[in-house]
Amino acid sequence: MTLSLYWLQCGGCGGDTWSLFNARSPHLPELFGMLDIELLWHPSISAMSLAEQEHLLAELTSDQRPLDVLCIEGSVIRGPGGTGMYDEAYGRPKKDLVATLARKARCIVAVGTCASFGGIGSDGEIEATGVQYHKWDKGGFLGPDFQTLQGTPVINLPGCPCHCDVVTGILSQLAEGANIELGDYGTPLEWYGMMVHQGCTRNEYHEFRVEEKRFGEKGCMFFYLGCHGPLVQGPCNKILWNGRSSKTRVGVPCFGCTRPDFPQQYPFFKTRNIEGIPIDLPDGVGRAHYLAYKGMAAAAAPQRLKKRKTGI
Amino acid sequence: MPTEKKHIRIFPFNRVEGDLKVHLQIEDGAIRDAWCTGSMYRGFENILKGRGPLDGLVITPRICGICTTAHLAAAARALDMVCGVRIPGNALRIRNIALMAEMIQNDIRQAVQLFMADFTRPGFADHPLHKEARRRYEPMKGASVLQAVAESRSLLEIIAVLGGQWPHSSFMVPGGVVCLPSPNDISQCRHLARHYRRWYEERVLGCSLERWSEVTCRADLKAWLTASDAHRKSELGFFIRFARTAGLHKMGAGHPHFMGFGGLVIPRDSAVASLGRDGELFPPGFYSRGKIAPLDQKRITESIDCSWFTEYGPPRHPFDGVTQPYAAGNEKRQYSWAKAPRYDGLPAETGPLAQMLLAGDPLLTQLVREEGPSVFVRQLARMVRSCRTLPAMETWLRELSRNKGLFYNDAPDIERGKGFGLVEAPRGSLGHWVAVDNGRIQSYQVITPTTWNGSPRDGNGLRGPIEEALVGAPVRNPDDPLEAELIVRSFDPCLVCTVH
Repeated sequence: MTLSLYWLQCGGCGGDTWSLFNARSPHLPELFGMLDIELLWHPSISAMSLAEQEHLLAELTSDQRPLDVLCIEGSVIRGPGGTGMYDEAYGRPKKDLVATLARKARCIVAVGTCASFGGIGSDGEIEATGVQYHKWDKGGFLGPDFQTLQGTPVINLPGCPCHCDVVTGILSQLAEGANIELGDYGTPLEWYGMMVHQGCTRNEYHEFRVEEKRFGEKGCMFFYLGCHGPLVQGPCNKILWNGRSSKTRVGVPCFGCTRPDFPQQYPFFKTRNIEGIPIDLPDGVGRAHYLAYKGMAAAAAPQRLKKRKTGI
Repeated sequence: MPTEKKHIRIFPFNRVEGDLKVHLQIEDGAIRDAWCTGSMYRGFENILKGRGPLDGLVITPRICGICTTAHLAAAARALDMVCGVRIPGNALRIRNIALMAEMIQNDIRQAVQLFMADFTRPGFADHPLHKEARRRYEPMKGASVLQAVAESRSLLEIIAVLGGQWPHSSFMVPGGVVCLPSPNDISQCRHLARHYRRWYEERVLGCSLERWSEVTCRADLKAWLTASDAHRKSELGFFIRFARTAGLHKMGAGHPHFMGFGGLVIPRDSAVASLGRDGELFPPGFYSRGKIAPLDQKRITESIDCSWFTEYGPPRHPFDGVTQPYAAGNEKRQYSWAKAPRYDGLPAETGPLAQMLLAGDPLLTQLVREEGPSVFVRQLARMVRSCRTLPAMETWLRELSRNKGLFYNDAPDIERGKGFGLVEAPRGSLGHWVAVDNGRIQSYQVITPTTWNGSPRDGNGLRGPIEEALVGAPVRNPDDPLEAELIVRSFDPCLVCTVH
């Protein structure tokens, strides 16, 4: 069965689209070809003329053509003052188009953190919000009770950008009619049921509290350099980026870009801490136990780690 | 015969980045006037105010999903200046290699996936090469598209090896880069670069980089095209044949002013030679009517007379810039979320053509002198720019595999200071201007390549480069204004950047 897909770009940078082009197996042309996905429209791909575009939108909005999957990239811009005119399309706020197409779609996928939770502009004057969440709160643009034509909530695929394999994976599952299990904040457990830190090649340093205060070293970046790896969910260190590496592996702290409050309001590259222990501890860990554990871990650290002799 | 007047609006403008709206006034089958609108405002400059001094390294790459590394480099260079820190040679090499990988992927994707897709459209049905164009460039199906998707993707792996991921990493910091690439990491990057070069030579050029470097004038170009079947059938050869037959060399001239920021700093002990006189691979400068003047960033100002921002009087240098959106502006005069940047009060085109003219490329210089700037020459510059970047990239990778130097020098915590970072992004000149006070960002101003190219009019009524390039162009079918779209796409516009 052919699955029709419309890709709507709103308040974003296009990074989720270009990240999607990183896909290898299946790569993008393969994905559309083999899964029989009919790409109705993607602003960076389609070669349609102006008249054809208008005709397509008219068909979709008048129910002459069914819409199976609506992918939304970028936040819904509501500013200034709720008008949405900071993002205008066809003389009206683009948020109107989001609302119209959302009512016609069997399934909605919010691709990236901006579409999922509001992202970059959610604290700014553009009054950005996610399609069905505003940061930690269900609601967002469509409201907490919104359901698609087939009775499902918006599927959130956060990440700034979202990893290509997550997008191709979810589209494959939709095309195959697989059961998609959602966890917290409308995200599929398959990719967001693990911490970014899982699989990081610096984990041994983390384990024995060999922590860096300076860039360009091999140790862990959680205590001082603002790494969010143990705090946020995402598959970065499992499926790797561009099939090669991850930020934390090469020494860039994780900025927690999958988390509903990204970008966090405190400065990056610095861990907020009390007496040398991070304020934010790994999910579900008690402070007293953590202090005891980290104290003992540091005492047990082997020389090869203290002297940074172990490869990463 | 009565004159026939028509107004058309092109929106959404597909196969450019972001939301671009173009308004054309057509009279007797030709464009009489044009207005270029960035229809979305994103507010990055104000989001950065009050944030931590290093936060530009995380926030600004997210201005753009395809030139993200260029924003990172501009942000890092601005902070290098604030800190007054020296960057180790190896860190410069890594920054340059990443910037070039991003530039090369952009050039091929723009040419094959974004630009030449237009050759498949019904508007070209009577072109003798239309059938062949469809076989090559049909979106997501064409034979050349499939290759470009695969090869650009694998080249970007270089940035992931060095910087963790593409897009949106933050591996450049004041003082250098954070990574510690192993000898095998560098070997892997060298393999990826070699692999790309081989494909680029075989399929994009149809000849070696050395053979192409012998093409230095129009006569050479003509001879090259007929010299071998491989030349004619390559992406470049096909483009040249299609474009000349379609008259793209007579279309889309624009202003005669060009600007480039250079920005690939050559380490002191490197074998890479500058294409100009400065210590950068591509020389920075301002090119006007055949004359090159050195670049001075103090001459850059932004006018907001026709932009939806609260008025601030005469045009301002970015260090004095303010971004105050004013949605309820005078609709007759204000029509874009882009400001209007000017150099010495003049609009300037930026991008591969500007870069190659400043580097004194003999073929492109002759073409511009004799035929004027055009859709054809802009695209040609983009398709052959990699001939200049690939060899430098290979040399820097080779030097990295032999060098033992540092990748990072300690940079002090930033309390206060001002700095700017100028780089050449894939689409042209990109600048960040930052001021820090009390350990927080006080002001952050960004001018992107498409802010230059897609700029609206300024206080003197001067059109932006894209607007100017559109005026006079023929439009055969106002319901499918293909010619106008080709002119606009030849600038490779990125509106998400423009309306940051």
